[in-house]
Amino acid sequence: MAREECKALLDALNKATACYHHLVLTVGSSADSQNLREELQKTRQKAQELAVAARAQLTAALRDRGLGAEERAEFERLWVAFSGCLDLLEADMRRALALGTAFPLHAPRRPLVHTGVTGGAAGIAARALSVRSLRHEAERDFDVNDLRELEREVLQVGEMIHDMEMKVNVPRWTVQARQAAGAELLSGAGASSVGGVSTEGRRRPCDLSKALAAAVFSAVLLVAVALAVCVAKLS
Amino acid sequence: MAAGPAPPGGCPSAQRPHLSKMERVVVSMQDPDQGVKMRSQRLLITVIPHAVAGSDIVEWLIQKYCISEEEALHLGTLLVRHGYLYPLRDPLSLLLQPDDTPYRFQTPYFWTSTQWPAAELDYAIYLAKKNIRKQGALVDHEKEHYNQLHRKISHTWDLVVMQAREQLRAAKQRRKGDRLVIACQEQTFWLVHRPPPGVPSVLEQGPERGSCTARRVQMNMDFYRREIEYCRKALGRTRVKSSVCLEAYLKFSSQHGPHDPIMSGCLPSNPWIADSDTYWVVNAPSVAAPTKLRVDRWGFSFRELLEDPVGRAHFMEFLRKEFSAENLSFWEACEELRHGGQAQVPALVDAVYEQFLAPGAARWVNIDSHTMERTLEGLRRPHRYVLDDAQLHIYMLMKKGPRYIVVYF
Repeated sequence: MAREECKALLDALNKATACYHHLVLTVGSSADSQNLREELQKTRQKAQELAVAARAQLTAALRDRGLGAEERAEFERLWVAFSGCLDLLEADMRRALALGTAFPLHAPRRPLVHTGVTGGAAGIAARALSVRSLRHEAERDFDVNDLRELEREVLQVGEMIHDMEMKVNVPRWTVQARQAAGAELLSGAGASSVGGVSTEGRRRPCDLSKALAAAVFSAVLLVAVALAVCVAKLS
Repeated sequence: MAAGPAPPGGCPSAQRPHLSKMERVVVSMQDPDQGVKMRSQRLLITVIPHAVAGSDIVEWLIQKYCISEEEALHLGTLLVRHGYLYPLRDPLSLLLQPDDTPYRFQTPYFWTSTQWPAAELDYAIYLAKKNIRKQGALVDHEKEHYNQLHRKISHTWDLVVMQAREQLRAAKQRRKGDRLVIACQEQTFWLVHRPPPGVPSVLEQGPERGSCTARRVQMNMDFYRREIEYCRKALGRTRVKSSVCLEAYLKFSSQHGPHDPIMSGCLPSNPWIADSDTYWVVNAPSVAAPTKLRVDRWGFSFRELLEDPVGRAHFMEFLRKEFSAENLSFWEACEELRHGGQAQVPALVDAVYEQFLAPGAARWVNIDSHTMERTLEGLRRPHRYVLDDAQLHIYMLMKKGPRYIVVYF
């Protein structure tokens, strides 16, 4: 069904945008490298493909006059989410362009900022492209050419957004979002697993020491139980 | 910005030169040879590099810019308060301690100049992520912000929740050390852009600075020539001694004190408080019987007399008796010219000339020959201030003439 397809495309675009956001965070920092720029390029190209596909589907659906009121409301909801996602992507692309220009990788006029982030981000890009792993195959001056392309793509996305606004008229304030405040806490998939991996540095040591104490205690208990069983067996 | 496609008005750095200066300082700190000494931060299992101590930063600033320790401390604190450095142990207190306290540099993505202004959608996504991580235990002001945002942008709440979840999932792909650092960076960014209650916002700008384009002035010949011209003109201005000024000011205040409705109350009652407009009716511009207070004012100076319509009418009566009413009429006509519409200027000037200035006019005014010559010159190209000289002459004549004030007060 068209609605399911649109939803799937929107989810994929959302994932790509989030991954792109994570990659752009480290441009200009100590984790910046040719590989990162390549990952950025692949992620944003994937995001743009998804955006074009989603837009085509949504525009077709919304321009269909014979759509029921409920279906239309649903599509409008998807439309608002889609245009918001595209805005986020465009903003991140602009920032990537500004930062990439300010922090060129070769002939460094400006040294990269030592932020403490050193690891690679291949996993994130792989997640965005829905592949298992990513191969890096960039040449040396990749970032210079990439910046030119990025500029062009930023303009393209800007045009796409403008086009969308002109073609489809969805008043945003009439759209009722399905998620209420605090909805993010209710989901099973995201909340519990992420809640466990607390990212506060200070809490980590206490949790770890508590876990250590619990492990030691249970080990001692097991040993005691085993000894008791042996004693019982022997006697 | 999630808000709209175009960047905000003008280039943000041009309006905030202090930010680009701070960024230059931060970048020069990164120099591998001459930058700040970096150490590693050791958490229980993870080791995260690129931590700097507060004392190292102060020392580096002193050495690089040849400034005193106090100034270096102040500079460092500014860097921390604008979010270019953040403390690792106590992230909520944005101060530079000149001791072992570790700090780390903020990533360029979160520099204030890159992300100005911070969008509401971004803040909503950040709060949603924090909500998930802390299982709903947000700080009070964050909870308030969260509810406010939900009311404001409830139509995009789906996107907020989706993005928050996806961003957290994407973050899990990183190493633990990187994840910690990125979380700290984001937290610092939002501490600067949405400060908790009680903390002054460093990003506030007074209204007058908003339109200042701090362009670098070139110190060339033109600039100095203009400066010299300006100073010369300033020297030529008439100056009054402050003792004279202040005396006049005191006299004015003591004279006008009893007449001021705020200082001395107004009779019969204040219309704004008592809801009766008797005061306004009694003090209307053209009233038959002016109040005693009003009449007293006419005695202060000639100007007060002329400015009050009733006073002016009385003065006109007096002048008629003295057969010099044309002076006041001329003065009034000149006022009309000065304050009237631009389109009426030529016609009015002609009328005034016909009536008051032409030789053999019906109401000829007595102006000295010098002024008359100048006025007639100017009448060839009439503009609204062409009769100023003549008006001033007549005004002084009326003022020093038969003393209405002496006679009647």
